Amino acid sequence: MFTRPTTEQVLRGLVDDLSRTIAPELTSETAKVALGMIVQLLQGCAVRSAHEIAWMHDEIAAIEAEVGTVAAAHGDSLHLEDVIVRYHAASEVLAEAVEAGYAAGDEARVDRLRALLEARSGNEMRIVGALDLVGRG
Amino acid sequence: MHNIDEMPARLAAFLAAEEPGWRDIEVTAYEVMTGGYSRLLAKAHVRHAAGERVFVLRGDPPADRSLIHTDRLTEWEVLSAVASHGVRVSQPRYFDPSGERLGTKALVIEFCEATSLLAYLAAHGTDEHAAAVAPLAEAAAAFHRIPLEQLPACLARPASWDAYLDHRIDEWRRSAHAHVESQPILRFIAAWLQAHRPPAVPLSLIHGDFQSANLMRDPDGGIVILDWELAQIGDPREDLGYFKAVAQIAGPDLTDIDADGFCRHYRELMGFTEDQLNPAVLAYFLVLGVVGTVRQLLEGAAAYARGDNKLLASVFNLSSVQFGNSIWLPTTRALDAAFATMREA
Repeated sequence: MFTRPTTEQVLRGLVDDLSRTIAPELTSETAKVALGMIVQLLQGCAVRSAHEIAWMHDEIAAIEAEVGTVAAAHGDSLHLEDVIVRYHAASEVLAEAVEAGYAAGDEARVDRLRALLEARSGNEMRIVGALDLVGRG
Repeated sequence: MHNIDEMPARLAAFLAAEEPGWRDIEVTAYEVMTGGYSRLLAKAHVRHAAGERVFVLRGDPPADRSLIHTDRLTEWEVLSAVASHGVRVSQPRYFDPSGERLGTKALVIEFCEATSLLAYLAAHGTDEHAAAVAPLAEAAAAFHRIPLEQLPACLARPASWDAYLDHRIDEWRRSAHAHVESQPILRFIAAWLQAHRPPAVPLSLIHGDFQSANLMRDPDGGIVILDWELAQIGDPREDLGYFKAVAQIAGPDLTDIDADGFCRHYRELMGFTEDQLNPAVLAYFLVLGVVGTVRQLLEGAAAYARGDNKLLASVFNLSSVQFGNSIWLPTTRALDAAFATMREA
């Protein structure tokens, strides 16, 4: 199987072509807004294609380090759907730990769990990049 | 409503029925407008024997193209109510409640000649930004002060502020549970909001989407408020927090130029105490105030993930929730530190 150009490269190339070749040809405001959204989504897809499985894998490990092994680990397949199932299970355990931490008034525990969520948010923002609410206002 | 071949004739017939005194009605221009993510928008220039008018039509998209679901009749009644109380709005003129005449349920409102506040702020510097702070507080207070009994009966009245806040906080949990995948950040936020409840204030009409993109600036500096589809009865501080939240994406944040001064002016207009509104409480509502929008955006993204809709905006708008996560979490951390300092003092 060919792996280069990578999916990330191809998607970024599409973004360049859409921005340089297609965008200047558009006259409809509706089409311009749609293209603006498409470009931002493709940029996010490029980042996800390169990193999302690794990021989910790392997050699961970090959650398990804080709350213990996540039940129903669902094997160790690296197919995206299988990783998503494990990630979902780990996220549920994390959410329940947060609620239990608040119920117990355990501020130190809550703070450590919040740090895990902040790391998740950091990855999300690498995907989102510079958010432009195209078409608003 | 976006059929530009058919609509001029339909609109002319609609106006002829609504305004029997008008003669020789002609729709001289009809164009689709962008700017609204959720509703169809169009601008129409109308000429009749006694004058010319410019209207905006604001209607429901087809069901399978609907990003969020709101009720046009409620929007019409709310808009009419706030207009009758002197709130600066694009004046509501006509309503097609069935959609039979305009092709979809639609409001017809006067075109607003005021300047987009976003565009005005982008084109001007810090002095003009500072000058917009007081008008922003006044614009919010103008509809927050309307007595509940004078609001449309179709708006649900919560039993109490405590019950309302419980329900609103729980909306974060409900949104998390209803989504297609686990959302621990939303559940963290619900737990945090519950642990830091602010003092109560009287419930009021809230706009629900109070952001610069829905505001226009009149030549005298006053602010015109558009797009009332998400209005409901709630905690008025939610609108202020929502404004602050969206301003983190599309600034400037007018509430932060002089946060103490903004809060003081709004308190004076509303008769609130400093405990009820100060910069820390405002930041609390930066988090709480967005939950209605978060729920709607997540519902759209979930529908896309399930294959129930194919709307580009549904998946695009998920970015706003992710951006929100990057704002809410640091806000909770900063406020924890602020509240701890206040407790020690």
